[in-house]
Amino acid sequence: MRYTVGSQEITAVRGAALAIEQGDFISIVGHSGSGKTTLLSLIGGIIRPTGGQVLYEGADICAMDDDGLSHYRNEQIGFMFQFASLLPRLTVRENLLLPAVFRPRQAEPADAVSRKAAELLRMVGLEDKINAYPAQLSGGQQRRVAIARAFMNRPALILADEPTGDLDEATEQEMMDFFTAMNRTEGTTFVMVTHNTDLACRTKRRLIMQQGALREE
Amino acid sequence: MTMSTSFTLFSIAIKNLRRKPLRTAILVFAIGMLVSALIFILSFVKRVDSAITATSDRLGADIILVPTGARGAAEDVLLESRVKSFYMSRSVLEKIKKVRGIDAFTEQTYLVSITGQCCDVPETVVVAFNQQTDFIITPWLHKKLGRRLQRGEALVGEESALNISVGLTDVDGILFGNIFKMVGVLDRTGTGLDTAIFIDESNIEGILTKGKSALKPGQISIVFIKVKSGADPVVVANEIEDSIIEVDTVTRKDIGRSVLSTLRDLKRVFVAAMLIVALLSVFLVWTVFSAIANERSWEIGIMRAIGAREGHISRLFFIEVLCIGCVGSVLGVAAGTTASVLIIKNFMLLKSVATDLTVPDRLLIALLSFVAGTLICVAGALSPIQRLKKLEPLLAIKEE
Repeated sequence: MRYTVGSQEITAVRGAALAIEQGDFISIVGHSGSGKTTLLSLIGGIIRPTGGQVLYEGADICAMDDDGLSHYRNEQIGFMFQFASLLPRLTVRENLLLPAVFRPRQAEPADAVSRKAAELLRMVGLEDKINAYPAQLSGGQQRRVAIARAFMNRPALILADEPTGDLDEATEQEMMDFFTAMNRTEGTTFVMVTHNTDLACRTKRRLIMQQGALREE
Repeated sequence: MTMSTSFTLFSIAIKNLRRKPLRTAILVFAIGMLVSALIFILSFVKRVDSAITATSDRLGADIILVPTGARGAAEDVLLESRVKSFYMSRSVLEKIKKVRGIDAFTEQTYLVSITGQCCDVPETVVVAFNQQTDFIITPWLHKKLGRRLQRGEALVGEESALNISVGLTDVDGILFGNIFKMVGVLDRTGTGLDTAIFIDESNIEGILTKGKSALKPGQISIVFIKVKSGADPVVVANEIEDSIIEVDTVTRKDIGRSVLSTLRDLKRVFVAAMLIVALLSVFLVWTVFSAIANERSWEIGIMRAIGAREGHISRLFFIEVLCIGCVGSVLGVAAGTTASVLIIKNFMLLKSVATDLTVPDRLLIALLSFVAGTLICVAGALSPIQRLKKLEPLLAIKEE
């Protein structure tokens, strides 16, 4: 799979076929620059490849128009970015509600959305920070809000890029327990990029990425 | 823990406008200035246009006859309430009777009152008119007095009434050495006659006897002519000028020509100025929104990554643009309307022009200016918004 940055064409994944089943919990490990983030971005549809296919439930997302792709990202995918991804001018509550703002109207009543956001915030232990701004939170707290936001629209697939990077060990384990529970009870599929081999061992499948090539451990 | 439920693109847009209040205020101010300038100019132009049209309509004459070279002076008196006098021989009335196509005519004589010399009223034009043949003043006279003016009586134009303190009670005034009883105030005509004093021309004899005016026996100032139905005023006017060499004619459509000519030039200047201001405004908005686009490309990337469509991004920015445009335009309408009411009166061109804009005129000007201001704001932001919404999410995120 290839994509273009400016005039440069980059081969992200070479000669790989990756099949992800519903309910999978996959970890991807590899050195920096091996293409892990790009792989997640291609699966998540936030960059279009110039070659290759990404099939979601049989439909090639690369062939979708912009609205179709946006719908896919909003409804089917929950993305946890590697970096701080909260919008700085919105409160914690507003950052959480953001995915719901982009859903089709009447997808869910506003009350239900608000209750869901409150529940997610409670699950990541930040119910007292609803009205705080990201600048008032620690890196770890911002990370947890971003994790909660990824679950807002009940996506079928979570793409998590170093989701526990800023967290202390105890909180890291807590979040993994949360992911595992969601995978088990809700059937949410996880594809998680991590450098942490301990966390990778807790997943059902482990893949190694090396210079764009993918192999299963 | 409870959460209030409303969070929409509109909420995000308002938050974005509030994040840089000074920048938002500057944009609002710029649009406001543009709109107020537009209102000022449109009000000025419309007011002069309306005044000239109203004057030529209200005079009720198709042709005005004046002494040769006195066209300008006549317009000064009729349109701009200036105090002027000009005379020609009364014998032209006999010559007019021989011209084809004339239905009716009436003469008036203009005398200039000079306080302390001949009169005890402020400087004004005293109009001696022929009540037998008149069709200019009589419509208003009958409404107010219900009878003809007698000798020794005078009617006062609405604006002169303030100067002479004519109101509910009769006031005596000395005009050209003769005492006149001011028996009433004429309704506003919207012409220069609003500043005049009116007497029957039978009083001229007494005025000539006292010798306190420049008028000589057998002189008149102006003749108002109505043409017959179907007759072309231009053709009749040409025939008058061909047959009576000591007069000039002004047809209804040419009344105010010199003012209109000045106004046309002013309009061109104003239009050019407005175009420059509008272009500058578009450029300012474009510059600011281009800066906003650069600042917020990362945020837009995040939004797109979590499912915002191009339409969401467009809508978000258009809400911001429309808020700026509408608020700026509303403030501009308020400021411009105030300026057009207060400041415009200081323009010589309008100082003496009697008509003000009607409420429907003001509303239409306000609405047009509001729409123009908002559209100019939108036009400036179009290009940056187009660029933003097309950003690839990952590339936008990586640009940070």
